[in-house]
Amino acid sequence: MTADVHIKAVEHRFNAFTALHRVDLQIAAGEFIVLLGPSGCGKTTLLSIIGGFLTPSEGQVLIGGRDMTHVAPKDRPTTTMFQDYALFPHMSLRDNVGFGLRMRGVGRAARNAKALEMLEMVGLADKAGRRPHELSGGQRQRVALARALAVEPDVLLLDEPLGALDLKLRRQMQEELKAIQRRVGTTFVHVTHDQEEAMAIADRIVVMNHGRVEHCGSPEEVYLRPRTMFSADFMGETNRVPVTPSGGGVSSPLGPLAIAPAEGMLCLRPENIGLAEGFSLGRATLVEAAFYGSYHRCHFRPLAARDMLLTAHLPQGAHPGLGDEVELFGRNPVVLASEAA
Amino acid sequence: MRYLSWAYLLALFAFILLPVVTLVIFSFQDGRLPVPPFKGATLDWYREILTDRALMEALGNSLIVALLSALVALTLGFLAASGLARVVLPGSVVMRGLLIAPMTVSYLIIALGLLQMFNKVGIRPSLLATGIGHVVINLPLCFAILYAAIGEHQKSALKAARDLGAKEWQVLWFVAAPMLTPALAAAFFLAFTFSWDEFIIAFLLTRFDVTLPVEIWSMLRSGLSPATNAVGSLVFLVSVIVVVALELTLFRKGSK
Repeated sequence: MTADVHIKAVEHRFNAFTALHRVDLQIAAGEFIVLLGPSGCGKTTLLSIIGGFLTPSEGQVLIGGRDMTHVAPKDRPTTTMFQDYALFPHMSLRDNVGFGLRMRGVGRAARNAKALEMLEMVGLADKAGRRPHELSGGQRQRVALARALAVEPDVLLLDEPLGALDLKLRRQMQEELKAIQRRVGTTFVHVTHDQEEAMAIADRIVVMNHGRVEHCGSPEEVYLRPRTMFSADFMGETNRVPVTPSGGGVSSPLGPLAIAPAEGMLCLRPENIGLAEGFSLGRATLVEAAFYGSYHRCHFRPLAARDMLLTAHLPQGAHPGLGDEVELFGRNPVVLASEAA
Repeated sequence: MRYLSWAYLLALFAFILLPVVTLVIFSFQDGRLPVPPFKGATLDWYREILTDRALMEALGNSLIVALLSALVALTLGFLAASGLARVVLPGSVVMRGLLIAPMTVSYLIIALGLLQMFNKVGIRPSLLATGIGHVVINLPLCFAILYAAIGEHQKSALKAARDLGAKEWQVLWFVAAPMLTPALAAAFFLAFTFSWDEFIIAFLLTRFDVTLPVEIWSMLRSGLSPATNAVGSLVFLVSVIVVVALELTLFRKGSK
């Protein structure tokens, strides 16, 4: 029903291109892991390696402690929910969901019962006799999930399954996925390039870039305390201010700032810049503001550095007029060493 | 302009269908020659050919050869197409090219090659030899149709089947074949009609038991007769039935 996954120094090359550079990753049993990164970062390659569709050039994949590196997909305790659902168009939903059990030699009555139970779980029990083409995208999605879970895999692999859905449906499916994962306890490994989706569902996020793991941690850790400039940027917008240690604080183009001395780039999320609380960022004029519903998005030009622009998300109804001069404050400062590259 | 396009359409249909229509009309000719003027309708010629044992035997032979050779070509083509669609091997492109290559060779050349080869290995000219020849010409066709029909959608469904624990034969039987039914049927019926109509290979590779086109050819050697028109009409009827059946069952369903 559930198992841990251990990826040991996995390297994968496609001809001259190295898709994964010695990736190490421990996934605990029952964990909801999200592999997050831009396209081409190696996340789908890693998922295919866990599922057995690719054999890594080097390294090992252990599932539940057993070496699975050279085991075919059909003999692995994993199933995959594919990006395009990959349902069988000529079969009813019941037969689609029961397919894996049929391949395992389960009798018709038993597998139909299990298929119905799975369809019940995703709220489609009343449509068991329908064909996939009669369903909406979101419903097909659920069938694909039910089909993958019907064989009670130890690990479920999800390959950008929500990419094709509209925003509202995607939010809803994210919550459902999370709830179903808690219920069945199976290890979920989910691939996406959408950082909001990652934060909404993950126990732990693995941020990947150019075939390497940039950061691996809980959504809070990855968002609030990014370890690299890449994951800071990828998880959301940041304002960057170069800083160098000076006395008890740091000096910057904005002037001296009252934070722990460090050398590198100060990263501040727009919601961590406000008109009160925290350390002073000096005075700035508001040059542009837009209302986004839950916040005002404001661009400030610091008096000390006219070529810079700070983006702040201010609470509803609390923004100064255009051209007004105010003092800005920062919270949750993160200073990252400038990358060598 | 409107009348002109209608006239064009009529001319086009006349051009395509007139020979066949003439053939069918003069198969009912009440006289010894299938040429104008039309002297009245009779079914005598149909009675004559339907009681002609050699002709009916040839018709039976043709059906068997067409059916079996189409089935073999379809099976081999299906296996080749699903294999090459599944894995990328070094030389996949060359393999695909080689599989399709016989399409570019004339039937006469293929027949000559087969004749010489069969001589060497000791297969006598026979229905079996003809059937093998028809597999040779129809396999590239079946392969090309099926390979083209396997798109990304099919590939990922096959991948899903393997992921859910299906063995390779189960993937082919439970998922690939049902998903490709329209293409399989199209390939089968095309292969069937090509074999049914084929003359050159059958002519060179049969001796005592012959197929229908070969039998018709030997009838023609003794001069024109409404009887040959009647046979031709029957052959045409079979092809029409196959095409209409295909149209009504598969292509209608496939267009949803």
